[in-house]
Amino acid sequence: MAHIPDGVLAWPVLAAGAVAAAGGVAIGLRSISERDIPRTAILSAAFFALSLFSIPLGPSGVHLMLGALMGLILRAAIFPAVLVALGLQAAIMGFGGLTSLGVNVFNLAAPGAVAGLVLAPMIARANAPRAALLAGIAGAVCVLATGGLVSAVLYVSSADYAIASRFVLLSYLPLMIVEALVTGFCISFVKRVKPELLARTALEH
Amino acid sequence: MRIAALIMICMAWLFGAHDAQAHRLRIFATVEAGAISGYAYFVGGGRARGAAVLFSDAEGGELHRMQADERGVFTWKPPKPQTIRITVDAGDGHIGAVNLPAKRFSAGDAGIGEQTAHAPDRDHSHDGGELAALEKRLEARIEAAVARQIRPLLEAQEAVQARMRFSDIMAGIGVIIGMAGAALWAIARKPKLPGPDAT
Repeated sequence: MAHIPDGVLAWPVLAAGAVAAAGGVAIGLRSISERDIPRTAILSAAFFALSLFSIPLGPSGVHLMLGALMGLILRAAIFPAVLVALGLQAAIMGFGGLTSLGVNVFNLAAPGAVAGLVLAPMIARANAPRAALLAGIAGAVCVLATGGLVSAVLYVSSADYAIASRFVLLSYLPLMIVEALVTGFCISFVKRVKPELLARTALEH
Repeated sequence: MRIAALIMICMAWLFGAHDAQAHRLRIFATVEAGAISGYAYFVGGGRARGAAVLFSDAEGGELHRMQADERGVFTWKPPKPQTIRITVDAGDGHIGAVNLPAKRFSAGDAGIGEQTAHAPDRDHSHDGGELAALEKRLEARIEAAVARQIRPLLEAQEAVQARMRFSDIMAGIGVIIGMAGAALWAIARKPKLPGPDAT
């Protein structure tokens, strides 16, 4: 669902998405220091691989988005990470469109970036169980936000998608639970094993 | 050690028994006796039940609109052999399209149903025109039989094409690692400015 293909969205939506994503990527690139590059690449590669695999559910299926996990660790650098991963998925496997790349990047990265900027400082100070709880909430909210953005761009693009866009949020509900568990577990794990991964990025120094 | 165990679990889940993939909508369509039949399905998931199916010509003009059945199956016979674009919309932005070129329709596909419905006129059985018509009907029936026989092969080929290859995933990860390496190299080449703690 977050991999919107070509030919679905109206061109003003595509243009707005491209501009917004470009802005996010520019801010993200500015925030990346030498130390952040390996973690950005690792999370981009993890997102690239994991979001290709979906669990059959209902008429289609759901796949992990990892928006909150990436946002909490990368903050604004989530934009270039998602851009690279989605670009490769579109170019190599045809998942998602190239013209809709900007919209797809924004839909996935923006909620994660906001979660990172708002919650990451709290998570960095919290103990492991509390960090897991906050990260789980961030995971669920990011899925809901991405679902809302996907619904919005579909609705704005064409009235034909009005009914479909209402069902998008419903289909995201199971994913919210899975994403919350995965994000909570991963952040708790990182907090115990390598807490410096949750340290601030260059932009916040 | 724990990181290695986590990576092993992730790898086992990724490349283990299931071959579920991102829910990309794909379409299988073939031509049998002048009629287009096929189905829409999600890679790694089920059929696109009740999806909206649009048949359009090469210029994008709408020819026919219908809904796939509960198994995601659609069937429609175009009025004449021509290039047909099939677009399936399963909602939520799940849209797939496939082109059936005009050459997939045989010359005898136009009106094959009407031709086979009538018995040949015995009074003109030796007429050259009747022979030609018979040949045309025979050709159409052979093509229909061949299409019926090769349909499982086409379906198998479609399934193979839809499967994601391990090499594609590794290629993508390799590109990301390469980009990270290039970025580190570019940064390493920049002359470092003395920091505030430099003596």
